[in-house]
Amino acid sequence: MQSNDGIRSDSNNYSNNYSMDKYQHMFVLFEHDDGNALNVSYEMLGEARRLMDYFNSRYSSDERVIAIILGYNVKHLCSKAIDAGADAVIYAEHEALRYPVVNTYTKVISSIVRDRGLVKQAAESTSSVYIKPRYMLFGADSIGRHISATVLAELNSGLASDVNKLVIDDVTITHQYKTGGKPEHYKRVLFMYRPDFSGFLWTQILCLDNKNPSIAREYSPQACSVIPGVFKPLQLDGNRSGKIVEYKPYIDESDLKYRILKREIIKDEVNLEDSKVIVAFGRGIKDDPEKNVRLIEQLADLLNAKIAISLPLSKLPFNVSSSIKEKYFIPARVVGSSGKKVAPKLYIAVGISGAMHHIVGMKDSEVVISINPDIEAPIKDESDIFINARLEDVLPLLIDAIKSIVSSNKVVGKSTISKQ
Amino acid sequence: MIDSNNTLSVAVLVKLEPDLSEGSVTYNPDGTLNRSLTKNILGPHSAIACRAARYAKVCYNATVKVCTMGPPNADLALKEAMSICDADELHLYTDRIFAGADTLATAEVLKHGILRISNSNDRGIDIVFAGHRAVDGETGQTGPQTAWKLGFNFIGNVIDYRVNLKNRSVWAKRRVDLPSLYTVIEEVESPLPVLIALDPSYKDIYTTVSQRLRLSRIEREANERSKDYKRYLKVWSAKDLGVDVRYVGLAGSPTIVYKVERIPKVKASRRSRVVNADIKELREVAEYIVNLVIGER
Repeated sequence: MQSNDGIRSDSNNYSNNYSMDKYQHMFVLFEHDDGNALNVSYEMLGEARRLMDYFNSRYSSDERVIAIILGYNVKHLCSKAIDAGADAVIYAEHEALRYPVVNTYTKVISSIVRDRGLVKQAAESTSSVYIKPRYMLFGADSIGRHISATVLAELNSGLASDVNKLVIDDVTITHQYKTGGKPEHYKRVLFMYRPDFSGFLWTQILCLDNKNPSIAREYSPQACSVIPGVFKPLQLDGNRSGKIVEYKPYIDESDLKYRILKREIIKDEVNLEDSKVIVAFGRGIKDDPEKNVRLIEQLADLLNAKIAISLPLSKLPFNVSSSIKEKYFIPARVVGSSGKKVAPKLYIAVGISGAMHHIVGMKDSEVVISINPDIEAPIKDESDIFINARLEDVLPLLIDAIKSIVSSNKVVGKSTISKQ
Repeated sequence: MIDSNNTLSVAVLVKLEPDLSEGSVTYNPDGTLNRSLTKNILGPHSAIACRAARYAKVCYNATVKVCTMGPPNADLALKEAMSICDADELHLYTDRIFAGADTLATAEVLKHGILRISNSNDRGIDIVFAGHRAVDGETGQTGPQTAWKLGFNFIGNVIDYRVNLKNRSVWAKRRVDLPSLYTVIEEVESPLPVLIALDPSYKDIYTTVSQRLRLSRIEREANERSKDYKRYLKVWSAKDLGVDVRYVGLAGSPTIVYKVERIPKVKASRRSRVVNADIKELREVAEYIVNLVIGER
């Protein structure tokens, strides 16, 4: 194979020559709040472990999973990161790092991953020409979303956000810009899958070197932010061992001028997670949103249920009164991969088609009843009872029936429908 | 009356996006967005950024410049933005070579854009406002990446802010969602310049009578002036901006969209019993529900 950018050595020998790689290892930003780890940190480390085990066996390599922990009094997290799948941890402690500050964190993280000596201390397989990470993972949350963006701007490479599937593979690509229209082979590519806003499409994002000679450039690391709750963490294993290395951060005077004055933990406005019954609604309310939400309120009141919504509704697609909008059309009520995961005794999905990111959030419910006029709606396959009709035709009848049953108290032993 | 050291200059980054609101949006039979039948508008998060700029205009008498990178018709987003924040200037960065940019290549254009419109005074832009994320791209990365390239402090998820003109600093309240833990409301202080990305829950609230009077004057003016928005519009090409063409558009994008596929249907996890909307069947469902959740209470 020809070497187009003239920077890499012979790409045929590339896989046997890992010790001379400029880009190595998978770095994971371990996210926590003043020492309390976020679950996504363990989820990322679990996925990183699986990916790099595969990577090392497929490419006969010895690249590592390295967790980065920034904070103040965070040593206790280092061994946890090892237990959760990291081969090594690089941590930095400073009062200015106690809580994430985008600019300060970005400087420290970038310095860490570019410090060859430090990285070699953490991972002895680090080559003498190491420059930057091969891969990096961040959480797609209020911490990782912004820091991933600024770190990758600093490292001048590409980033995919809100990823829910990761695969490492080789690929041959013909691209007008990347390859100048000729087929080129790329090795060790991180395929980053993200669901789009509709929830029906999966986009594969790749971060690739420009092999086109006129714009030749190497892009590393390949990085992404991952949706919390998607990847499975490993069982914490106290028998795992790994290197823990301290980095002494340099905090610039100017960074100290950004000050956190106050922090207050607030209660969840909705708290769907503890609810035994949830009535959720989606775009199916569209024909008369105001009236339909009122019907849903009635049903929820009867069942002492909390009300949830599907993701599209949090983006305010409807003209409804501001009282309804502010009460229901809010992110805190979203069930799904970019919202909450719930597992109530009964989940009633009203006018929800069942995009994958919604299913992820409710599939562990004990019983699911859905109302949808579309017999092909994916929610059907997740339902114990699928009421195949418009919600306007169903809810008034259903509400009346429940009312009359409750008031006549003819409850016990009459049910003829059961979970199949 | 206003000392030049006490002035404030703000910019807003906006985006023309498909209108996903019901009645405007058209979906294909397979549930995906039909882009050709869906009209484009100022994105909802961009509109929130414009309201934050309006607040700066009302409370600090700020000059407001609205900027966008996009196709020539993205001037529609600027017009809508102007009708919200009564912008003094509108800037459209448009060039065929900008097309297909990922967030890094977009931030490169926006950085140059902000620098180029900063020349009018010595201090440059004090605050850049950006939305939470675009409804179509949804990455939320462009704001922080532009901030980093500009060397501005980035403050994200902002729900309230004040400017201290004397100290040249900003106070901001931000919402930090920590999934699996809790939500934190954080108050921070930073020297200017900053890039502020607004949380979707941001509201510009005017508490004093004089603020409300100024607001209604600005609203009237915004409405009037935006009819004639082209008078305030400046269009910039790659050459005008002085960007290195190797770092913008597709050429400057590290990432590519390799494939778009339908998310495969997961195997049915439940065997659903299908029920129709007739009274008898719904009564059975009602009994089942009552037994399940009310019976045991």
